[in-house]
Amino acid sequence: MSKFKVHESSGDRSAQDRARHKKKIEKAIKEGVYNIVSEESIIGQDGKKKIKIPVRGIKEYQFVYGDNGSGEGNKQVGSAKDVKKGQVIKKKQKSKKAGGKPGNEKGEELYEIEMDIEEMSEYLFDDLNLPDFEKKKLKQMVTEKTKRSGYRKQGINSRLSKKKTMLQRLKRKKAAIKNNTYDPETEERFPFHQSDMRYKHIKTVQKESDSAVVFFVMDVSGSMSKSKKYIARSFFFLLYHFLRHKYNKIEIEFIAHTTEANVTDEDRFFNRVSSGGTYMSSGVEKVIELCKETYHPNSWNIFTFHCSDGDNWSEDNKKYADSIKELAAMSQLYGLIEIGIKINNDISLYNFETVSDHVEHLSSKKVKIVKIASKTDIWEGFEKMFGGLR
Amino acid sequence: MNWKLSELQEWDKKIIEIAKSHGLDWFPIDYEVCDYYEMIGHMSYHGMPTYYGHWSFGKSFERTQQFYNLGMTGLPYELIINSNPSIAYLMRENPLYLQVLIMAHCVGHSDFFKNNIEFKNTHPEDVIFRFNAAKKRIQSYIEDPTIGIEKVEKIIDACHAIQYQIDRNNRPRLTDEEKREQLRGTEITKSGLILFDINKVPVSPDHDILGFMIEHGKHLEPWKIDILEIVRDSSYYFMPQIKTKVLNEGWASFWHYKILNELNLPDSMHVPFLKSHNQVVCPLPSKVNPYHLGFYIFNKIEKEYGIEECFFVRENMNDISAIRQFISREDCENLNFFTYSEKKDNVSIDEVSDEYDWKEVKNSLIMTTGINNIPVIYVDELLDNNTIVLRHEHDGRDLELTYADEVKHHIKDIWGGNVKIFTEIENEKWEI
Repeated sequence: MSKFKVHESSGDRSAQDRARHKKKIEKAIKEGVYNIVSEESIIGQDGKKKIKIPVRGIKEYQFVYGDNGSGEGNKQVGSAKDVKKGQVIKKKQKSKKAGGKPGNEKGEELYEIEMDIEEMSEYLFDDLNLPDFEKKKLKQMVTEKTKRSGYRKQGINSRLSKKKTMLQRLKRKKAAIKNNTYDPETEERFPFHQSDMRYKHIKTVQKESDSAVVFFVMDVSGSMSKSKKYIARSFFFLLYHFLRHKYNKIEIEFIAHTTEANVTDEDRFFNRVSSGGTYMSSGVEKVIELCKETYHPNSWNIFTFHCSDGDNWSEDNKKYADSIKELAAMSQLYGLIEIGIKINNDISLYNFETVSDHVEHLSSKKVKIVKIASKTDIWEGFEKMFGGLR
Repeated sequence: MNWKLSELQEWDKKIIEIAKSHGLDWFPIDYEVCDYYEMIGHMSYHGMPTYYGHWSFGKSFERTQQFYNLGMTGLPYELIINSNPSIAYLMRENPLYLQVLIMAHCVGHSDFFKNNIEFKNTHPEDVIFRFNAAKKRIQSYIEDPTIGIEKVEKIIDACHAIQYQIDRNNRPRLTDEEKREQLRGTEITKSGLILFDINKVPVSPDHDILGFMIEHGKHLEPWKIDILEIVRDSSYYFMPQIKTKVLNEGWASFWHYKILNELNLPDSMHVPFLKSHNQVVCPLPSKVNPYHLGFYIFNKIEKEYGIEECFFVRENMNDISAIRQFISREDCENLNFFTYSEKKDNVSIDEVSDEYDWKEVKNSLIMTTGINNIPVIYVDELLDNNTIVLRHEHDGRDLELTYADEVKHHIKDIWGGNVKIFTEIENEKWEI
């Protein structure tokens, strides 16, 4: 006779392996973050806008047969009555994008995670900390606020979201009908399932009660190519949402400079083509000027992020270093983001002397230098800027 | 749970009686009743009660659960492992008739595990112990501060990439030295007419890539070798199931159908049983359903050659040999098999099973069944600079290069030295 026993739950056996898998996905999201930021404008988002983040499935590679993108595959066997030779079973959709991004290749497991910007910020930025402050105690007061934060599968009944729950059940029902596991013609009920339940999630957040001003400074001289600006833009996007996530109120100033600096708006900042040389100091001095006029260090947290391709006219280097010192004394952080040239097969400038070599010695809690070689380094650079001191 | 354990025991007794009367000979079966969540958990680990930890099993869990929640897939009707005693899982949510069907089906599987020749080296008597010990060892490497999870994961990732690149013929592995010994004894070597270099490593093509690295990886740390051995052991354990999926499912379905018809089920159970049975063995338009084909094969053999022949096939054959031997033109027609393939702008049918094309259909069936879906790659040579040279036995189907390239890097992760892979792409020689 066979033995029967009721399984005694030994806990959730796959929990550890699932956690490990999740970690891998999170990492993939962070590495893929440049994909999402490209088309969004930096400011003026209310944080509720949904963005989709494509995440390449954490793939497991083996030797497999494939068409190597030719679109012509090997023969498969199926079974059906009354079919004819040459009969078309399925029309292929013409690939939507010319030059098609890889993503729908064979076996590509593409997760698409949809979240709003606020959720994304939580996800990306919670582990990162703002640099230390020397602000007066008063200014460092922290307020606690509660805010809605998406939906969860667990929760208390009073927070049940009927709408979301209903939608989940509907989704499941549709899928079941499509897969013939449920026949709507019969009298059979299609009950709610525990997994349909969605609860509003509320969380408390701590925010610095103080306000911050962020200066985005960029070298827009002729040597800043489009692809470098693209990286700068992605980086600024992350910065903006990071600071927004941490502060109640945030002001942004865009400063573009060649040998002279101007305050400008977002659109011009990224799209205007300039020519001419570069004085890095001009951008920094403009920030100092604005701080003196409008954003007094006593009442504002001041952040400056300066994107450059590393090319500075040599007569300016000394002046630039001095101006950084002056700004560092009055602000929270000065970040120099040097965008490298490894893009589009340009010759790497890393062998040459760049502007960061002249200010490297100033590196401190308040002055950080990050080098980004290509767009996949964006997140890493970002983490370096905020994830503790190098 | 709308049934009692005692009911299962009663039906079990009847099933055993009928199965024995037909000459089935299986391992004792331990049934575990679990809920759907636990079922998905067991499925993610191929049903093994213990298995080493790896993120890919977590991924598998998430996907199965997602599909299940969306109603896109029912959970498998049965999950039973090749061990002695066999361990099978019964889902609490299933109605009684379905449990009875599953139990009869499991008897068929267990009989197949115990008797089919492909399984003779799987050692079902100690598989649970082996897997449990492996899990503990891998855990100890993860906890070892000089190794840690990142390194362990990297090696397991790499091993998984080549886990089915093993010898397919169920032969015990010979080391290079043993192969040389054999060759030295042969006439052709004695006569001095050797056409190849007997000192080459490996002496002859080695399809067991993990085994090759274990044998020649003198430079690898012991914990790496151990992980290679663990993955290799599990590959050899599962390989027979890949090779006999059709026959194994066919045999189990053949017997659950016979047994349930002899059980004198009340109508309230008999009708839903027939419905479930038909769902299980129904043909699918986009792929071969192993239950469908296997059930057909055994019914055909019983009808044309008698039940004795069925027992002979379950003992001595695998999917490929059974299809080769028993599938005729008439069968291809009865099974409504056709071939299809992706073209530039559509997917269309290439051949149907008519008098002109049925051979091509049958050939495609063989090419796409189980193990034949896995490209054959072997170690051709180990060069002096520690470079492994792999070759692909091209059979008309090209390798997917992006995948092959990633696998190459995985192999490098294990080996340390360089790796080269030679294949053909669009009839041109190609090096990856």
